[in-house]
Amino acid sequence: MFHKLLWAGLSFSLCSLSFAQKTFTIKGTVINAQTQSPIVGATIIGEGLFAVSSNDGAFTLKNVSEGFHTFKVTHLGYTPEFFDLEVNGNSEKVIVALKESNTVLEEVELLGKTKEKLAKEQPLVTVEASKEFMEANRENSLMQTLSKIPGVSAINIGSGQSKPVIRGLGFNRVAVVQNGIKHEAQQWGSDHGLEIDQYGIETIQIIKGSASLLYGSDAIAGVVNIKPSAAPLENSFSGEVNLLGETNNNLFGVSTGIQARKEEWFYRGRLTFRDYGDYKVPTDKINYENYIFELHENHLRNTAGMEANASFSVGYIADNIKSETFFSNVYAKNGFFANAHGLEVRTSRIDYDSSTRDVDLPYHKVNHFKITNNTIITANRRTWYVETGFQNNHREEHSEPVPHGYMPKPNDSKEREFHKNTFSLNIRDAFQMNKEHIIQSGVNLEFQQNTIDGWGFLIPEFNRFTAGAFAYNQFEINPNLHVQAGLRYDFGFIDTKAYFDWYPSIRINEDGSMSSIYLQRAQDKRLDFGNVSASVGLSYIQNNTTYKINIGKSFRMPLANELASDGVNYHMYRYERGNLDLDAEETYQLDIDIDHTVKQFSVGISPFVNLFDNFIYLNPTPNYFETLQIYEYTQSKVFRMGGEVRASTTVFHDLQLDASVEYVYSRQTSGAKKGFTLPFSPPLSTLFSASYQFKKFLFFEKPQLIVDYRITAAQDEIVPPEEKTAGFQVLNLSVMSHFNMMKSNAQLRLKLNNVLDTKYFNHTSFYRLIDVPEAGRNISLSLTISF
Amino acid sequence: MKTALKYIYSLFLLLPIVSCSSDDSMDKDEEKPTITINYAGGFPQACTQLQKGETYNFKAKVTDNKELASYSLDIHHNFDHHTHDDQGTPCTLGPIKQAIKPLIFMQNYSIEGGKTSYEINVSLAIPNDIDTGDYHCQFSVIDQTGWQSRTSIDIKIIE
Repeated sequence: MFHKLLWAGLSFSLCSLSFAQKTFTIKGTVINAQTQSPIVGATIIGEGLFAVSSNDGAFTLKNVSEGFHTFKVTHLGYTPEFFDLEVNGNSEKVIVALKESNTVLEEVELLGKTKEKLAKEQPLVTVEASKEFMEANRENSLMQTLSKIPGVSAINIGSGQSKPVIRGLGFNRVAVVQNGIKHEAQQWGSDHGLEIDQYGIETIQIIKGSASLLYGSDAIAGVVNIKPSAAPLENSFSGEVNLLGETNNNLFGVSTGIQARKEEWFYRGRLTFRDYGDYKVPTDKINYENYIFELHENHLRNTAGMEANASFSVGYIADNIKSETFFSNVYAKNGFFANAHGLEVRTSRIDYDSSTRDVDLPYHKVNHFKITNNTIITANRRTWYVETGFQNNHREEHSEPVPHGYMPKPNDSKEREFHKNTFSLNIRDAFQMNKEHIIQSGVNLEFQQNTIDGWGFLIPEFNRFTAGAFAYNQFEINPNLHVQAGLRYDFGFIDTKAYFDWYPSIRINEDGSMSSIYLQRAQDKRLDFGNVSASVGLSYIQNNTTYKINIGKSFRMPLANELASDGVNYHMYRYERGNLDLDAEETYQLDIDIDHTVKQFSVGISPFVNLFDNFIYLNPTPNYFETLQIYEYTQSKVFRMGGEVRASTTVFHDLQLDASVEYVYSRQTSGAKKGFTLPFSPPLSTLFSASYQFKKFLFFEKPQLIVDYRITAAQDEIVPPEEKTAGFQVLNLSVMSHFNMMKSNAQLRLKLNNVLDTKYFNHTSFYRLIDVPEAGRNISLSLTISF
Repeated sequence: MKTALKYIYSLFLLLPIVSCSSDDSMDKDEEKPTITINYAGGFPQACTQLQKGETYNFKAKVTDNKELASYSLDIHHNFDHHTHDDQGTPCTLGPIKQAIKPLIFMQNYSIEGGKTSYEINVSLAIPNDIDTGDYHCQFSVIDQTGWQSRTSIDIKIIE
């Protein structure tokens, strides 16, 4: 009753308001931005106002009240356009130019829905990072750039490399997908990065949560999905050059890309080169256990590196087919901190301090070559997606040869070499049964072959095959209520190859005699795995609020080193023992996401609960092998929960404020470390951002100032051999602006990281283990010229 | 604007409730054991010279808040100066040379009976037929939880 009265009262007051106002009529035209020809049937929507453009593109909006109005103009096949209008009686005729959507196929696929609407309908919790986001937030490596997204962080290895972590899980528990194909490098290793060129990426979708249904093994904590760029416009040629300079590690980087299209054929190409010196930390000495490393002029010795990437693609697009073949090669050479390699303290006669730019031992070099093809065929109500890929990953790690235990001094510096070939094939069929119902089904096949070389042993050679088949259903109960449910089965095997030491070790036999034997480190073994994954989710849109709930089961096949390793890892100063009895990791996750977005502000919360039946954990035991601590791969139950809270608001039109908090709680609930957390657990962290848009200044268009302030709590939840990490606060500033340069649009960005040169430790950094703080103050200047 | 702030505040208020609600009161062992040679009987001290053919008792004191589990003693050559000790006093190292028959001693032992303090005492006869020169001696200890501590000492083996 009360509600009814309230409504009645409200409507009455609204009516009286509208009666009191003067109204106007607005006339305008909608045209194609490229051809300038009129667009028929475009919809123009404003608050309580609606019009459709006629044959000559003209529209009329009647009864428009005085004041500011925002209108949205949409048409199938064109990117929606917004325009602001001040209505005061002397308004001119409005002309709205719509740009064509980049691909013909996307229109079919999207059925005219916007990306935002589709994301809302999808029950999985996803975040999209656009090219603009990447450009505004670009850091030294891809994952550092993305770590501004709440719930996403990076394990950093020095200044130029990083790997993804989603809500505290990383390594092989996050799948990285590029152009539809799972990126296969040596993800299990802790001392190398992602091996993907971060330039030239248009959209990255991050799935937070269980995604094995779509991506198979490894997509436990989520997926970093680097989507293929949209096809360029017909008869177009465009390109960009990006220059970057940084003061902390004296980095110089250049990346240039071009793309062009005639009618049906298009091509793209990109070259990236970066070279950097040792990075600086805000301390002149490092205390690791009882060792003290003096640093020369704050430089972290031998952390210089370089990166050279090239990619090329050729594509064909016609009415019902789009196909693009990508060739890419990423090469990097990175030095490792010279005073400690892993956890092992080293002295050397190499004069590291003579130059901050050279890369001496220890270092690694890695080359990732990739050919992938994406083909999309549409026929009637079906769309076929075929993705094929070949990847060759080659990594070599070099260090000064020294004798270790019974191992004599090796003859060369090649400590390890990994050579992995991966062949992938994905086929998916999306069938639009009717307007409300889409059924997707498909298969994923992958074959991997890994060979090793070098005098240090870490993982055995192996062959691995996985095959998965899935089907899922997207159902629209009503335009605001969507359900998605699916099932998947995966089968796979891993074939590990035997490995024997190349030097003999002394063993004392039971009778007291001594024998000299070549120890076996890995066994010849074939292990089979089978797994069911599933996911069901619901999304409900209520005006400006979107509710999502998703529950999923994901899995991960054990890795060769988890199963079969049996040897000394000198870098980590431990003896690692694999376990052939390991099962595939299985995990259940419940995700909820509530988002409320209106014009002035937006708030959201995305909590999750996650249970592992059998988390594969490298457990430090209380026993020794020879004189090194034995670490054993075991499985334990794990409970995790946490989530992110985000809020943003626009104040006085020009000032945007953003705040986000991320938190993860992890507990092992069984096994030897019951009650402990998991390694590399990210601490509670908050990020405050403010960006202010200035008026045009001199020749600078849209100048913008962005202030980022991160407050991270201490991490007291640790597991051996970790150390507690103190909390920190760090301030970053950047100024960005567009301007015209020789008739081209250029963007300039000046970024100041760690403004106060704060000495702080990142709990999830690789160098944290040896007490190396994060990089000190850095000024970076980047210029992007588009032509 | 006011409603916006209200929303933000209420969401932020929720967070500590979510994050603190399931903290278990389990008594976790988060302490490393300690290890030292810095006491009267600790042996060897930095830069000690050991004679071939002699027998020495290698001694270090270890403690833990809960339960000691095992320890190890590792002696290996440092003819190539690949590392240094953590005792703080640098020893003068001999010239760099090739190893021919270096002493390699790698043994581990368990500490029974749930002790929280213990004195490592390993008796070792230095063989006569090994290379003389710079050596590195490392003690390490692990507690029952899996925390490890180490200490290392530069020593010399002489004729």
